[in-house]
Amino acid sequence: MTHAETLERIRDLQARVRELRQASDNPAIERTMQLLDLYCHMARWELGDVEAMTPEAEGR
Amino acid sequence: MRLYKPEVEAQRFWNPYTQTMPRADLDRLHLRKLQTVIAYAYARSPMYRNLLDRNRVRPEQIRTLDDFVKRLPFIDKKEILDAQAVNPPFGEALATSEDFFHQRFATSGSTGAPLHIPLTYHSAELWGESWVYVYWAAGLRARHSFYFPFNFGIFAAFWSAYMGVRRLGATVISGGGLDSKARLRQIEQYRPDVMLATPTYALYLGETARELGMDLARTSISHVIVAGEPGGSIPATRQAIEDLWGARCYELYGIAELGPTNPGCPLREGVHLCEEWYHALVVDEAGNPVPYGEVGEHIVTSYIQDGQPLIKYRTHDLVRWTDEPCGCETTWLYYPGGVLGRTDHMIIVKGVNVYPSALESLLHRVGGLSEHYELHVDRDATNDFVTVKAEARPDVDESRYGDLHRDAEAVIRSVIGVSIGVAVQKPGSLPRYELKAKRFFDHRPAAHRWQLAERPGA
Repeated sequence: MTHAETLERIRDLQARVRELRQASDNPAIERTMQLLDLYCHMARWELGDVEAMTPEAEGR
Repeated sequence: MRLYKPEVEAQRFWNPYTQTMPRADLDRLHLRKLQTVIAYAYARSPMYRNLLDRNRVRPEQIRTLDDFVKRLPFIDKKEILDAQAVNPPFGEALATSEDFFHQRFATSGSTGAPLHIPLTYHSAELWGESWVYVYWAAGLRARHSFYFPFNFGIFAAFWSAYMGVRRLGATVISGGGLDSKARLRQIEQYRPDVMLATPTYALYLGETARELGMDLARTSISHVIVAGEPGGSIPATRQAIEDLWGARCYELYGIAELGPTNPGCPLREGVHLCEEWYHALVVDEAGNPVPYGEVGEHIVTSYIQDGQPLIKYRTHDLVRWTDEPCGCETTWLYYPGGVLGRTDHMIIVKGVNVYPSALESLLHRVGGLSEHYELHVDRDATNDFVTVKAEARPDVDESRYGDLHRDAEAVIRSVIGVSIGVAVQKPGSLPRYELKAKRFFDHRPAAHRWQLAERPGA
């Protein structure tokens, strides 16, 4: 898989994780999706896709 | 079953994308990360907003790395402490609300007020990630087990190493709550592959093992990873640890308030800057970057500390940086010899810079001297002068101390070119330490120590 394809899939995954986090009313699922969001963010930085420092903290 | 696919586990680099990135691309990526961190800190940390406003700089004015070097001020521990004192414990240094905290650390405050260090979950993961670079380079994988022979406390020391083992997916064994003898028995029982310790404690365990009649070279430990003080990149110290444990010794250089900034090179003669998560400059006393190959103070910016950002932070560590390939094939900046000393430990004897790490290395060349020593520095009208107190090994008869003293002084004079007094001490006469050893005793007036100019580009 190319670098660009990997990044595209991570961005897509992150968007879907965020949707699920918003839609869920289960604390365990919300926390798990929050961590998945964070790991997607880390993976994007690791591949040079620098968007924000920490989207979670910056959003609040 | 293995955690990583075989073809992935066989790879040399943890993240080949950035570890092999050409310098020009790395610098472009650094600029984007720096701009992100500066904008974040300016928007959220009153301390950084005040600092930049006082210096009449706005984040959007940092358009190039040259802007970053020339326009942004350094920041020192004292300024963080002052900002924290406004509303303790974190005060104006804080950039996020406390409900994002994952863990809090503090320094000992042995030289003043303790510095408080907040860590978010994000920061903790990335502190761990920075350790994985040295684990991976040392050939360690998820199947290995790591032994931590000390009590975890409020100090950041080795917490990040623990976070790194979790990130790697390997096994943690804690030696907390035990004394040194019980820890060695635990090593025999659990058979870990890796031990993490300061160089001082890795060597101190040798004395304990002798009391137990135990040969550390016959234990399961195949890797010793040292941090917390220089030693892993000092060939003689590294060799002493390797001989004692019958293991390979690797190093990580980190700073409590910044985290694990420099994982050791797999070739073990120095450390690399973890350019994934940190940016660094090495500057002279005027605050100007020194050319590659030269020594200066290490100035670090973290991309990790979202709780308490640190940008162009003065570490007071002296390093030599180089962009020359070291042989391990990463493109990340290389610091041969690791940390050479502290800026406040800089000694100039008759015009010659003398680094404490160099003296330690030379003392190890003298057969009959142990690894325990102290450096005492004072000053007369024109010069620093140094006296070394070095312990003899237990198997050396006291009648030979005169020979040791002459041998040590001759070795130092022949390599460094200046005379340094060596006083040989009886075994056990110098203090022992579980974490960092205190080896440097500075009796000079403050005016004769390293003074970095207030602003860069002066």
